[in-house]
Amino acid sequence: MAAKAVEDKFRVVAVLVTHNGALWLPEVVAALGSQTRPIDFISAIDTGSTDTSTKLLKSARIPFTTTQADVGYGQAVSMVVQSLPECETDEWIWLIHDDCAPAPTALAQLLEAVQERPQVVMAGPKLLGWHDRTHLLEAGVSIAGNGARWTGLETNEYDQGQHDGNHDVLAVSTAGALIRRDVFEEIGGLDPNLTLFRDDVDFGWRVRTAGHSVLAATNAVAYHAQASANERRIVDVEGALLHRPLLLDRRNAAYVLLANSSWWMLPWLTIQLLGSAVARAIGYLLLKLPGYAGDELLAIGTLLIKPQEILHARQLRRKHRLISSRVVSAYIPPRWSQIRHGSEHLIEILRSKLFRHENSSQASSVLESNEDEEDLLTPVKSNEWARFFKRPEILGFLILGVITLLNSRQRLGDLVGGALALTPEGATDLWRVYFESWHQVGMGSSSATPTWVAFIALGSVLTVGNASLFVTLLFLVSPLLIMWSALHLLKKLTQNLWISIPASFLYAISPVTLAAISTGRLATLVILSLAPFVVSSISKWETIENVRWRQIFSIALLLSVFYAFTLMTFVIALIGLIAITISDYEKHAHLANEELYGHRFKKRAAVVFVPFIVNIPYSLEAILQPSRFLVEPGIAIPGAGVVKTVLGDPGGVLPIWLVSPILLVLFVSLFSSTQARRMAEYGIGLLAIAAVVSAINISAHGNDASTKAWAGPVIAFATLAAICAGTVLLDRLRPTLVLSHIHYRHYLSAFLLFTTIVYGVLASAFSITTGAQSLVQANRATVMPAFLNVEGDLKILVLREVESGNQKKIQFFISRGKDISMSDPDVAPAQTDAIAQAALGLIDGSGITSSTVLADFGIKYVFAKAPIKKETIRTIDGLGGFTRTSETSAGVVWQVATPTGRLIFVTENGTKIFLESGVEGARTNLPSAGTLTLTETYNRSWQLLQDGYRLERSKNEQGLPTFKVEQAGEISLIHDGTIRRGWISLQVIFFVTLLVLALPGGRRKREISDKELA
Amino acid sequence: MKLTRPIQFITIFLIVFGLANLVDATTTSKTYTESFPAVVCSPTLAGLSSQISLSSTKTPFQRLQDKSAKTSPVKVLRLPVIADSLVISSETTTPVIWQSRAGRWGGAALCRGPVASQWFVGASADVTTRGRLVVINSGLSDSIVDIQAFSENGKQQLQTITVKAKNYSVIPVDTFAPGDQALALLVEPQSGRVNSFMIDEQGQGLRSLGGDLVNSVSGANKTLVIPAIPTQKPARGQTKSQNHVIRVLAPGQVDADVTVEVLSETGVFIPVGLDSRLIEAGRVTEFKLEPDVSSEVFAIRIKSTEPIVAAVKSRISASGKSDYLWSTPSPELSELTMAITGLSPLVVFAGDQINVSIDLKLVNGKTVSKSVVGNDIATWRPPSSARSITITKVKKGSYAGAIVTSVNGIGYFPFAIGSELAKIEIPDSNIQVLNP
Repeated sequence: MAAKAVEDKFRVVAVLVTHNGALWLPEVVAALGSQTRPIDFISAIDTGSTDTSTKLLKSARIPFTTTQADVGYGQAVSMVVQSLPECETDEWIWLIHDDCAPAPTALAQLLEAVQERPQVVMAGPKLLGWHDRTHLLEAGVSIAGNGARWTGLETNEYDQGQHDGNHDVLAVSTAGALIRRDVFEEIGGLDPNLTLFRDDVDFGWRVRTAGHSVLAATNAVAYHAQASANERRIVDVEGALLHRPLLLDRRNAAYVLLANSSWWMLPWLTIQLLGSAVARAIGYLLLKLPGYAGDELLAIGTLLIKPQEILHARQLRRKHRLISSRVVSAYIPPRWSQIRHGSEHLIEILRSKLFRHENSSQASSVLESNEDEEDLLTPVKSNEWARFFKRPEILGFLILGVITLLNSRQRLGDLVGGALALTPEGATDLWRVYFESWHQVGMGSSSATPTWVAFIALGSVLTVGNASLFVTLLFLVSPLLIMWSALHLLKKLTQNLWISIPASFLYAISPVTLAAISTGRLATLVILSLAPFVVSSISKWETIENVRWRQIFSIALLLSVFYAFTLMTFVIALIGLIAITISDYEKHAHLANEELYGHRFKKRAAVVFVPFIVNIPYSLEAILQPSRFLVEPGIAIPGAGVVKTVLGDPGGVLPIWLVSPILLVLFVSLFSSTQARRMAEYGIGLLAIAAVVSAINISAHGNDASTKAWAGPVIAFATLAAICAGTVLLDRLRPTLVLSHIHYRHYLSAFLLFTTIVYGVLASAFSITTGAQSLVQANRATVMPAFLNVEGDLKILVLREVESGNQKKIQFFISRGKDISMSDPDVAPAQTDAIAQAALGLIDGSGITSSTVLADFGIKYVFAKAPIKKETIRTIDGLGGFTRTSETSAGVVWQVATPTGRLIFVTENGTKIFLESGVEGARTNLPSAGTLTLTETYNRSWQLLQDGYRLERSKNEQGLPTFKVEQAGEISLIHDGTIRRGWISLQVIFFVTLLVLALPGGRRKREISDKELA
Repeated sequence: MKLTRPIQFITIFLIVFGLANLVDATTTSKTYTESFPAVVCSPTLAGLSSQISLSSTKTPFQRLQDKSAKTSPVKVLRLPVIADSLVISSETTTPVIWQSRAGRWGGAALCRGPVASQWFVGASADVTTRGRLVVINSGLSDSIVDIQAFSENGKQQLQTITVKAKNYSVIPVDTFAPGDQALALLVEPQSGRVNSFMIDEQGQGLRSLGGDLVNSVSGANKTLVIPAIPTQKPARGQTKSQNHVIRVLAPGQVDADVTVEVLSETGVFIPVGLDSRLIEAGRVTEFKLEPDVSSEVFAIRIKSTEPIVAAVKSRISASGKSDYLWSTPSPELSELTMAITGLSPLVVFAGDQINVSIDLKLVNGKTVSKSVVGNDIATWRPPSSARSITITKVKKGSYAGAIVTSVNGIGYFPFAIGSELAKIEIPDSNIQVLNP
């Protein structure tokens, strides 16, 4: 090889640029000296090193010049090249960084690669890591549309020769690049504007547009420390604001793209660069790296405010360009390859998280099979599938999957029923509801939409914005999620999968899970799914001083999701805080460690109250409406009584014979000497809270009747406590029982196991048979007939027999022409007394004035939903003031005889005019002075503007907003959403802050060890 | 192992559980509104006169066609009605209207609250008839009423009429099945607060053959008891007492097999030919009832394999005048109050074992208690000074009706509640109404 190299026709001049590279320089110099194809001439330049670099050069007898520290790499190379004698034919310059050591054969291999390829004017070696020399850094380089440096390699890719060969590339790194001198000089060398970073890509691009080729010759190898990029030395070059390499890199990336791309691509590129800079900045902020975030934005900013620099660069490039810039398009990575690369990376992370034990278990089995030499001679029976299905977790999930599928046979479609109202088709509808300040529910409401609506909308991203599908899937996969999360926790309590799997299975078919799914309880489902993670992370609740603040905020973040769905979790957490603080106070009496207990209190208070703050304004409104602390999303349908509740059933569906052994397990565990006892104490405490909750009657969420509170969220935690206690009990008890003689513990354990198994079998059987007839069903017919939704700005008093307990009772609500949707119950206003009286009058026949009252509130129709008692229909018929307009299978409709509308204008002479109105606001002309009444709930945000002035607003005798109009003219009615927008902004700030505090912080490159880098 | 802590936990839990249960039990409550809908009495048509018996002079009433909702106290215990139908808030008491054509006939009927359906078994549509159906709408909106007639020729064309708010319609009964002799009408309001009354009046040329107010029943049943059918001793020179005619209709699709039992002082028996008699579905069937009973009244119990409606027509002659009455089935007797001022009816109780406690209120305000005990049938005539009868206690399976005689004729009314207590749970605003 060496002999062949000596025979080649080339002259090679190595150009070594040094800057504070004393750490790597000795090895670099040695590498240059040991090349199998000797370098013809070597010249170095030092850019103001303050270390021993120049001394090392001197001792190596390499001729060098020195220059100032702010001179860029390209400029330094040009200075060396200019100092060289006239260019000879076939003269090449070999660019060497002071942190890049070429392998002995590198130069020989590079020359061999270019020898038969006259079109190639730039060739580079395969770059490997300096410390880990199997780590593949680059084999050619390009630039993505968003400015990212694109190598086409995976992170920390191991070099196994998988990319070997000579490849045509856009560019190669200047570290070890061999460039034909004549071309280098012809196209002006490296751009002096690119003092560091991306000068290689820029040069390669220019070489390509000048009609030449660039080659990555992977037989040539060099080891590169990437000292500047990895922040191993200070970047002093001109333009490196605040010595920040990232800032310089991003600026230069944008410069390269904008200077070299076709002009018609520039607008799109600018947008792309800005967008990706903002996205990356957000990412860095989340990783608590504000400096990097600033670099991203500053880099683009500094470039775009000086467009003349780009224009000048483009002019220069135009001079040397022989072919179109589009020639490089083949080397620019398409967007899909970036996405694929990113998703592959993500999948790899997930795979390594999910199957982290896979390799180790396989390895151990291989070793075991080789232990006996005879086994080597025996043909291996490969029965992977059978073994796969015999794994307890697979069996458990499969059985639960089948049960869930059978149980969900009536719930495959748009779900509605029970506590769950119909989900809007698109996530945008949910976002709209979340942001809007006025809700067209009943007589109208300005209540704050709870945060869970935003979470459902956010979750709909998984179903491409189809919120309805997301909710259906959530209900479908909930049992599996619940089992999976429980298993995550139980694996920490026992190594025995044959205990943890059945226990998590029981959690997934516990009464509270079955009831929550059947009655459409979103909050309970979310809590059941996430509670194991909360319990897992909050296990050090009693010695919380040892938990880091970041973890405290992580728990607070998780609890924020719980609070968003139901503030009952706040009540539980608050009770927990009070109980533990009292306990600490008692301990403090003995230990007198004020600092310790103060520290504990601070952290616990943060866990309990930070999520409350994150959920403003909904949580603040709850202080004024305390019933909100005991409700969960959707319609307030009654929960179970106290007795069923303490047996773990919050009510809804389960037959009386299906009794879970939760209470029994907790009572038995109380007498255990293991940690099961502590868990049982928590469980019993939670069941006591559940009993109290279930004894409370509340009126909330658009239901003014007194309804039993649903204790599902509390029972979810109690059930988890029972499952954990049972797991620990069984795990610890088993060895004891095996070794001891038969006594009462054996009988008690047998009884516990028996009742648990009986429950498991009965619950499974119930689930797949009558359990499928849940309150929540798919694709149910709507309540409101379509013809009532034709008119706009319509209010209809709907009467319907609703089942309450075991009785049916006529109840009413004001419809806006259609059924309610998901979040409506949460923001529904309380009943208006006058309307309630009018409705009563309709039903008992005493309502002679009902029609007038309804007209006063803008209610145009009365709709009695079938089936309803004939007597009620006849009573309304006989009342007067109502004209029956239709009778269909859906029900009977009467028109209120007194004309009415949403906007009623009464002129000064008493003439009533019903004005056209939009869904919320209105813009119309008034013929004269008078009084305008809006038949919506009074709210301070209703504003009527005329000639730019707000008109005086007051309440009329019905409590409706009324405006005094002094003159004729155009008016605008609006509901001012400034306050709502303000609250949401505050909430977003709180949430993002909590998110940033909770997420693990990123590391700067200088904080990453050499070993990790390469 | 220390047991103190677990036992403490269990004790606290049990205390909380007990208290929660206690709170749960005490907070369960429901709120209702209770009212007795006002009853409506038949209007006085031309040539007729009416009096309504009431139990209190303070009973509020208003004329049907009054536009105002204001009521006035009746001030008297027997209120003559000039023309209009009256709406009376009589609460628990059922007023009785006595209507008559001077010197020709008399009849009684209950004033009732609005009902879902009314069956009238009586009247005919042949040349002798002068009968009319009065449909009253006491509501404030127009009402639509379906009238389905049946005759010996089967089911007739359904007729639907509209009655204006606070008004009534008078329809000649011969329009329902012209020429047919035996009628049964079902009045079913589709909408509105509707009551109906039927006046059955017959004549031949200028000669009156009598008349009656036909009481209605709310629906067909498999067992009917008609508690008061008057008898008349054979006239001098005659051997047989007068005939009774049973009119029966099985309104369903299946023929009915009926058996008629007679309950009289002489015992319970099935007259010859009235055991297991086939009644064709949808056709009004009449057959004679000639029981050999010596008492002045008897009762019948009709048992059927299918739901039926029925009535018995009895003709009574006195002082050269002839009148008839329609005895209709009575519902099982329950606690109720009937206003009988000025009627001095003969009250007839029927049932296997009769044991009825009665409070009798006299016009002077005094209350007298009375018990009626017997088997099969028992009669009792309250004094003429009685204003109301209150049944305070009654043995199950008892029925009662009353026969009223006056100078103009004879009438019948069943003992039944005119206005049922409407107990309505106060509705709440509940958004669940709008969720499928």
